[in-house]
Amino acid sequence: MWYHKPAINEELLQSLPNLKVVASSGVGIDHLDLKLLSSYGVKVANTPFIVSTDTADLGMALLLASSRRLVEGHEMAVSPDTEYFPADWLGVQVSGATLGIVGMGAIGYKVAERAKAFEMKILYHNRNQRKKEEESAVGAVYCKKIDDLLQQSDFVLLAVNLTPQTHKLIGKRELELMKPTATLINISRGLVVDQDALVEALQNKVIKAAALDVTYPEPLPRDHPLLKLKNVIITPHIGSATKKTRWVMMEEMAESIEAGLAGLPIPREVL
Amino acid sequence: VGKKVQAIYLWWHKPVINKELLQSLPNLKVIANSGVGMDHLDLKLVASFGVKMANAPHAVSSSTADTGMALLLASARRLVEVHNISISPSMEYCEADILGVKIAGATLGIIGMGSIGYKIALRAKAFEMNILYHNRTRRKAQEEQAVSATYCKKIDSLLQQADFVMVVVSLTPQTHKLIGKRELELMKPTATLINISRGAVVDQEALVAALQTGVIGAAALDVTSPEPLPRDHPLLKLKNIIITPHLGIKTDKASYMITEEAVENILAALNGLPLPSEVLPS
Repeated sequence: MWYHKPAINEELLQSLPNLKVVASSGVGIDHLDLKLLSSYGVKVANTPFIVSTDTADLGMALLLASSRRLVEGHEMAVSPDTEYFPADWLGVQVSGATLGIVGMGAIGYKVAERAKAFEMKILYHNRNQRKKEEESAVGAVYCKKIDDLLQQSDFVLLAVNLTPQTHKLIGKRELELMKPTATLINISRGLVVDQDALVEALQNKVIKAAALDVTYPEPLPRDHPLLKLKNVIITPHIGSATKKTRWVMMEEMAESIEAGLAGLPIPREVL
Repeated sequence: VGKKVQAIYLWWHKPVINKELLQSLPNLKVIANSGVGMDHLDLKLVASFGVKMANAPHAVSSSTADTGMALLLASARRLVEVHNISISPSMEYCEADILGVKIAGATLGIIGMGSIGYKIALRAKAFEMNILYHNRTRRKAQEEQAVSATYCKKIDSLLQQADFVMVVVSLTPQTHKLIGKRELELMKPTATLINISRGAVVDQEALVAALQTGVIGAAALDVTSPEPLPRDHPLLKLKNIIITPHLGIKTDKASYMITEEAVENILAALNGLPLPSEVLPS
């Protein structure tokens, strides 16, 4: 299963009586109805660990590109109309700024490790607080209430998985709690953000900018307002899109399938 | 008016400091530069008029290091390309066109390990990169260990091993065209050149040829010669390049800090005190 295709529904499962295993690329399993699959006796596996580093790297890439206006800057540097570079053209400083990480799982923690090297102050919100040693290693401060994180952060990075609890986690209320100078970075799932509320917030300068690797749907319809906003960077869900990682993902998926077909314990099985 | 001027705060290389200007300002005591590079100033000429010079070395290092990393990541993950795909009316692409390079485990070669270069090493280490560096002088053992950086006495050794080559030197007669045809040919064909120092440190014509013929994989340049490039320059037409408008220190915070440093130097000079960051002609 690659990029959520084919769609696994009752019809498909009925037509494949000998289906034993579904291997899904990446870590997210929000597109799979686990109960349904289980009822047909089909096992499920994903590739949870290999994607963490590249996804964290992309989160940082988006943070840096957005704050320093990299895409805009490149356009200015190559545009046929450019005669000079304006002296008052400024971006936002990353070093020393406050990063709020929503979702401190494997990916969120790797983001924290990277952000620490940029002398960033790190806040995080998570279902559970991490161990003290883990917090100290990255200098991260726990915010039990997401509001505290939103109010203090210059950059808010979403690294949660999509569940009924995280659906529209960031809506109008949360965006209004953020600083007007803040940037929202989403490397989780499009549905974690109320997209209409985000468009409004960006248009009305409730927040300063957004950088999204994920949207809903993917891709967005070509007339969607997010595509026209100057203060938005959008990438086509490339969190794990590096040659090396994709190779390992393929190997892992093949390994899980082989084990499933041989009736052996399945590596990276999702229960 | 000329007689009243005692200090100049040089913002983005303006005004141009030449003999004419210096002669028209008999009471000028100090020129404070907004940034660390002084290659645009004739230091000997200025000193001959009895005018002191200062730069702003401390305020620039973090934001310039951030820029270097931003360019490295954007280039490795093809950010500009894929953003344009994401917002284009057709959004048709081949999976292979959006695959980037894994940074963790890749080798970064830093040419110029001053304060900016070192800050880059600190950042790159957090990305689990393997770090090599080349510098006029070797850093202390503890400094090397803190960032797990390996010294390359010969630049060739660095160029041959690096997946990303980051140029962070100051522009001097010795570093002029430091990266030319020979150096580019020593680099891996899959390697990326990142320049955050000065355009003139790279032989631009050689770079164009290298990018066009696949001698190196890609380039990301915050600095060029001149800035901006003429609109018909071949660099602007290449697909495997990112160019940014010398935004190394262009952040709200850095601008503020640079101005603070400049003011400190100006006040010191006007009060006959030692300058915190005086620059003398070598």
